[in-house]
Amino acid sequence: MTAAALMAPEIGDAQRSSVLGRANPLIKLGISLAWLIGLGFTLDLRPPLILAVVAVIAGLQLGGIPPGALARRLAPLVLAAFSIAVTNLLFSTHNPDPAATELLRIGPLRITQEALADAAGLGARVGAIVTVGAVFVLTTDATRLMDALVQQARVSSRFAYGLLAAYQAVPRLIEDLGTLRAARRLRGLRELDPSVLLGILVRAIRHADQLSIAMDARGFGAGPRSIYRPIAWTRLDLTVGAAALAILLAALIASR
Amino acid sequence: MSIAPRATAPRPIAASGAAFTYAGSRRPAFRDVELKLDPGAVLLIVGPSGSGKSTLARGIAGLLPEQFPGEWRGSLRIGDTDVAATSPEAVVSAARTASLGAGMVFQDPASQLVMERVGDDVAFGLENLAWARAAMRERVPEALAGVGLRGFEDRRSTRLSGGEQQRVAIAGVLAPGPGLLVLDEPTAHLDTAGAEAAFRVLHSIREREAATIVLVEHRVALAWPLADAVLAIDDEGRPIDVGVPAAVLRRSGKKLRDAGIWLPDDEDGQASAGGRGARAGRGRLSKQVLGSDPVIRLDAVRFGYPASEPVLREIDLRVGPGERVALVGRNGSGKTTLLRLALGLLRPIAGEVSLGGRDPRRLQPQQLARLAGFVPQEPELGFLGQSVREEVELGLAEDQLGHARDLAERLRLPLGALGDRSPYRLSGGEQRRLSLVTGLARRPILLALDEPTFGQDRRGHEALVEALDELVGEGSTLLAATHDERFVRDAADRRVELADGWVLADEPIGIPPAAASAR
Repeated sequence: MTAAALMAPEIGDAQRSSVLGRANPLIKLGISLAWLIGLGFTLDLRPPLILAVVAVIAGLQLGGIPPGALARRLAPLVLAAFSIAVTNLLFSTHNPDPAATELLRIGPLRITQEALADAAGLGARVGAIVTVGAVFVLTTDATRLMDALVQQARVSSRFAYGLLAAYQAVPRLIEDLGTLRAARRLRGLRELDPSVLLGILVRAIRHADQLSIAMDARGFGAGPRSIYRPIAWTRLDLTVGAAALAILLAALIASR
Repeated sequence: MSIAPRATAPRPIAASGAAFTYAGSRRPAFRDVELKLDPGAVLLIVGPSGSGKSTLARGIAGLLPEQFPGEWRGSLRIGDTDVAATSPEAVVSAARTASLGAGMVFQDPASQLVMERVGDDVAFGLENLAWARAAMRERVPEALAGVGLRGFEDRRSTRLSGGEQQRVAIAGVLAPGPGLLVLDEPTAHLDTAGAEAAFRVLHSIREREAATIVLVEHRVALAWPLADAVLAIDDEGRPIDVGVPAAVLRRSGKKLRDAGIWLPDDEDGQASAGGRGARAGRGRLSKQVLGSDPVIRLDAVRFGYPASEPVLREIDLRVGPGERVALVGRNGSGKTTLLRLALGLLRPIAGEVSLGGRDPRRLQPQQLARLAGFVPQEPELGFLGQSVREEVELGLAEDQLGHARDLAERLRLPLGALGDRSPYRLSGGEQRRLSLVTGLARRPILLALDEPTFGQDRRGHEALVEALDELVGEGSTLLAATHDERFVRDAADRRVELADGWVLADEPIGIPPAAASAR
């Protein structure tokens, strides 16, 4: 259940009614993508760090995310970013290059300044991307995101609501995985076996199947649909979008 | 703005020689069904496990053959539409279901709720029918109030109890005002209170004659009083009788009982085959032979997940050899968690658990399998084999195979007929019995069963009680989480009731006071 809460978080009322929570999910998705692409233009350390710090502050101040929740969500991701940086540092092609400035040598291992710069830049970018992603996920209501995708981005409603239903099934599937492993253990078999994954796959497919039957039985796909929860663009979306672009530009200029 | 929607008028149902055969199956799931049901009436379909009740319900809801491929014979008219006549214009069943004005409620609440929040889910069916927004805004709270969930619009359906989820599902299906409501074992996952609440909703629909209702249901005490007509089908999917409940009981009561169908008067206290007196004696005998070291010991056990209410608060429980303990309590009271703790599948946050004198979490799988047999609530999750035969024989030693095959035979899963079938293609009741065979085949010291009688007909129930009797007689101990009072009465000698993670009551049952005080 803890793992489940991590995979499919439910955002609370505080986050939903916050400034970031009220902003259109598509705007937030757009900002995340724009920042992601913007970071591709620079190898400098500063822009990703600036954006990550802005994302954290925005998440806490404008998104109403409790610091503990943000930290729990970020810890494994930042660790992953760090290990990517270390791997790149150790295996960088700059290290064997005699022209590069040597920083450190331990036996056959040579670390160069160029490798350090590259690795730090990469780590910072990955860190920034996961931070922005975490803030997006923790301030975005899944239903609103799907409503916006269907109503404003013209994504197929079968795809979007199917995805929403699948997303809700994640905690249940994780629980099922535990039961499946228990069933193996209680019949004297090893708990971990490829067939466990097969069992979960079967389970997931059957769940999807039953759900699609239930959806069709409720007239889904029978004709034109109406909308219960309309989503409109607001002035807030414009403000948030413009501010985010300004911050991106400022961060990129700071890299010079 | 579309026109203000109107509820569909209740539909009459008329069947003549109706039969349906699933693609890939030689035998029809049901056949020769003759039926006439007035608009607004309630039809209860009863039959032994695997008799085609669910198939018939799906057929009436207009889901065959598009959702479940196969072939119709005869006719089945819902209002003006013959759903058994596959016409080119009725290819999309969604369109057909909508035009039939039929709504279907399925067994598992979790696999029919689409949206994250309750209000959105109830609105989902209305959106599909293109209702105007103002009308939806009015109808959604009304539909929720109708199932006793006023003000639940913003709640998350995954956070509700099973009973509440099922009522949300009913509200969603009822919201568009269908003329026909089909329910396939809607209370299978619910505790007694949840089931009663769901039935209150059905009673109010019947009183208002808002819709014709077709119901498949094993809880006879709730279902029979609601029914205006009963259709009983046998093992082969052939009608035994159809008519007013009292008349069906009078005419064919014995036949129904012989076919393994539960009847309303089965509820009131008469013990099944292998009566209690004999069993209580045998239980005590095995206790003398086995000594009295507890099989299960829980000392001040607590369990919970971070940042949420504890599931179990402070549980002390000792279960001695040869005892038959029923764990009862509402959905979410901690029954399944307690079972899992006893088997070492979960780690308590405080306290100690021992199984046969050892920490079950430290046992090797082989040792654990000898000590304990487990039947999970969802039989499908226990299936590891490709076929029924493989499932029964998996992981068993040579000398255990005979007993396993016997057990399968006794629980009406003949390997000759069903051995090559995929476990996933059995009916719900058959799947449950298969998981019982695998859980009991090794004659483990502890039989840990989670809702063992789900969806069982009378014969399944009796065969299970008898098999458990024998195993306990040979020295096994029973620990079963259940909502089924009949099973408690027939199979248990001690009743432990949980509520909100506490043991609310722990008492011997059904044993004469003298014997109880001698314990």
